[in-house]
Amino acid sequence: MRRRITFVQASDAPFAADQASLTPSTLSIRGLDAAREERATFSFDEIPSELGQVLQQCHQLHIRWAREEPYDAVAPFSSRVSPGLHVFFTPPEEAVRTGMSIPGGVRESVCSLLKRVFDEGIKCESPQHKTSFITPPILSTRFASTAAFQYHSSLPALENFVTYLQHTTCASADEGCLQHAASILSADSVDINYDSISHALTVSGYWSHAPRSGWTEEIHKHAGGTDQVEVGLLGTEKTTEPEEVKMGGLLGVVGKDVELKPTLFSFPARHHPLPDDATYSVSFPAPTGLHPTMTISLPRASLEAPPAPPDATCALHTYLTLPSTIFGDKYQLSTADPLFLSSHNLVALRAVSGETDLEAPDWVVPRWGSNWLVELATPQQSEQAPHEWNVTIPLHMRYLEPSESGYRSAAVPWPVVFWACTAEDGTKMGINPFDRVNLGWEGLFGTRTMFYQLHPAPKSQEEPHRLVEKIDVPVLKLEGEGIFQGKVIEVGTVTVILLGLVWVLWKLGLAARSPGPRKDNKRAKTE
Amino acid sequence: MPSSFFQSPTQVYGSAILLRASLLLYGLWQDAHSPVKYTDIDYLVFTDAARYVSLGQSPYLRDTYRYTPLLAWLLVPTTWNIPGFFSFGKVLFALSDVVAGWLIARSLVKTYGLHPDRARMWACVWLLNPMVANISTRGSSEGLLCALVVGLVCAVLERKVTCAGVLLGLAVHLKIYPFVYGGAVLVGSAFSSSSSSTLKANRTATTTTTTRSYSKAVGGKGEEDEDNNEEEENILSFAYFLAPNRLLFTLTALATFSALNISMYILYDAPFLQHTYLHHVTRIDHRHNFSPYATLLYLSAADGVKGAFESLAFVPQLLLAVVVIPLTLARRSLPGTMLAQTFAFVTFNKYFLWYLVFLPFYLPQSSLIRSPRLGLAVLAAWVGTQALWLQQGYNLEFLGQSSFVPGLFLASLSFFAVNVWILGILISDLGALPVL
Repeated sequence: MRRRITFVQASDAPFAADQASLTPSTLSIRGLDAAREERATFSFDEIPSELGQVLQQCHQLHIRWAREEPYDAVAPFSSRVSPGLHVFFTPPEEAVRTGMSIPGGVRESVCSLLKRVFDEGIKCESPQHKTSFITPPILSTRFASTAAFQYHSSLPALENFVTYLQHTTCASADEGCLQHAASILSADSVDINYDSISHALTVSGYWSHAPRSGWTEEIHKHAGGTDQVEVGLLGTEKTTEPEEVKMGGLLGVVGKDVELKPTLFSFPARHHPLPDDATYSVSFPAPTGLHPTMTISLPRASLEAPPAPPDATCALHTYLTLPSTIFGDKYQLSTADPLFLSSHNLVALRAVSGETDLEAPDWVVPRWGSNWLVELATPQQSEQAPHEWNVTIPLHMRYLEPSESGYRSAAVPWPVVFWACTAEDGTKMGINPFDRVNLGWEGLFGTRTMFYQLHPAPKSQEEPHRLVEKIDVPVLKLEGEGIFQGKVIEVGTVTVILLGLVWVLWKLGLAARSPGPRKDNKRAKTE
Repeated sequence: MPSSFFQSPTQVYGSAILLRASLLLYGLWQDAHSPVKYTDIDYLVFTDAARYVSLGQSPYLRDTYRYTPLLAWLLVPTTWNIPGFFSFGKVLFALSDVVAGWLIARSLVKTYGLHPDRARMWACVWLLNPMVANISTRGSSEGLLCALVVGLVCAVLERKVTCAGVLLGLAVHLKIYPFVYGGAVLVGSAFSSSSSSTLKANRTATTTTTTRSYSKAVGGKGEEDEDNNEEEENILSFAYFLAPNRLLFTLTALATFSALNISMYILYDAPFLQHTYLHHVTRIDHRHNFSPYATLLYLSAADGVKGAFESLAFVPQLLLAVVVIPLTLARRSLPGTMLAQTFAFVTFNKYFLWYLVFLPFYLPQSSLIRSPRLGLAVLAAWVGTQALWLQQGYNLEFLGQSSFVPGLFLASLSFFAVNVWILGILISDLGALPVL
């Protein structure tokens, strides 16, 4: 297992030389105030066999998890995904090429693996031809930067994942290993990547801030001495190139270097930070009813064009990850009607995938939900920039199953909001050692696009803040006892219908027996 | 309205057209100036589908297109890049409305011997009905179907057997439900071989316009017929249905229907069958609607209430609309029977305004007009229960209140009860007409 640990300090954070001391076998960190990323790379033979079997059936498997509480995403880790578990999965090319789409067994394995690793309760069933995954639009199959299949589930915590890691990778008495795995519980986001070309599995965690007393840890060299343990203590530096991120600080390989080496390097970056006041908040104004309107509120600072190169064109976007309980009307949203769009401060629906059936109730929807990439309008130059700019996206609830209270709660993760800007030809994003792709939304843009992520900032007074909105959905009230029982509805309906039928038949009987005026006439004649 | 108004066909049809033209223009204005559109969502579905067929593709590529491809073909002009042509379909639907109204008036005069002024007056219940004009100018295709159905009534009453068969076949292809009218036509006396003199008799029938003599005329026969026709035909006998005209009508209708379906199936394959027909059987849309079954459907779909009630739900509806009503009433009044069938059909299932087009045939002899007090009570109950339902629906959809039970449940059952009451009045009125 190779490890790479990166501490990124804010420019105003204190650093003293004795906070990091390197011995031939160990780097000791003491009280360091920094964001931290740790990336562990496993070669295929280090992977537990049951996991390996599933991975062998994957061409690519990328998992992204973000916590529900807001956190800072500092450069070079500025990219974000909506809270919850995201899975991007591409089956082996042969399966795609031979038109087998995907052998049922593979998905089955991916689904059951996800359940075993993350949560038995997630909605990931794969009976035969139905799939829990959705297929995102693929812009180019040759240079596919999006996976063939996509999945999302709400997942507030990683307890199950940590337990799984501890069971599969740690000896039961290895306290260090157990604690190391448990540290993932406090991570703000976790990435897992596997592809069949490198046959390597990487797991990375990101912590946006240090524990209260700062990071204090002993980073040991690899026990076998064969795998590299690399540590960086870095900070971002000002750069004159808008496409680039510049990092400076100390680097060292534990067990190899005798001292940490000063470094300064820069690279073109896909994801860039925005100032702290470039925020957004998401709400569903009451009453939500069955047609809630997602409102994204942007303060003035968020509307300023990002510091992209002067000739770049930029547009503000949002990427919605909607569970199956809630959906957009793709015909309504893909309209070109300027009145509709400007009344919502939208420019256009750029991409949609997943469950967009306009009528189906939730219980017949097999897949997890849908993704929507929407370009947002910004105030015209001539307009006085408003104090707050509200973008609204009309959405609709599916019918949910009946409940005792007459209501059910639907949880909608906050979307990500970002500027997308064109970058110069020839910009090679891939050389960035911290590059992050397979986020769902970034693959919908060209490979040379730069993203400037806005910071989610809940406005509500309620603590703790979560980047998940809960909507109360009215459903059929069904009590175990009392008046609102299924039986009452059943018997009531059938009785009323039958009474109606009998009444109409009785009237028809009377009509059939009524001679009408003709016989009267006849009688009158014969008389 | 002054009676001189009804004397002038120009004024009647002119104002019907004017009403629709102004609504159409108003709709264009609202669409251009408000994010809330006048145009019906369905019209966007039709025109999207028309765009697909204009590109040689299947109209079923458009989600929720649940109609025959004929409709998409008909609306291909909406895809032409000529200013104003996007509204071609609405103009077509609105004109169909007016044609239906004209056919109503014509039929009231020709077969029922109403004075043309009176006929136009009753036709105005349809022609100048703001609800009707609103529906078609928003781009709903119902007007087209109504014109076909009134055309069917005219063709039958005027003994144009082949024409009637073709119209019925086409109407059923367009929307399934008009198949119920087939039974009414067959049971009715229009195609009896013995009544060939009826038309002549009708034409010479009295043209006085009192309700009483109208109700005699509505039967479609003069008095001299009655003596010739002393032996009543047994409507349940084979011979009755084997009358040449009935056979010809049945065969033409079936041939038209099959020819259309086979050609559409050849052109568009399984999606045509799925979306035009099977969808209505297998649909999984349990959103609330005016149906008295709505709550039960929600319950059974989500909870799996045992019992085949979903398929049984069709039984009362079909029993009444297909069998009992035509057998009981079709020989008294064809359009009256069709009204009762349609009313029963929508009462026992879902709510549509399909029956409006038959009102001008029924109202002249209706006890709702004869007794204004009863008429107003019915109207109040019909509007009241509907308003109650709409209010509960609003509470659910927009205020997010869980109003499925008891609100929507009771409201839809009350609305059902009122409709059943109206159906009873309708049947009694029709029962008072002479058997032919």
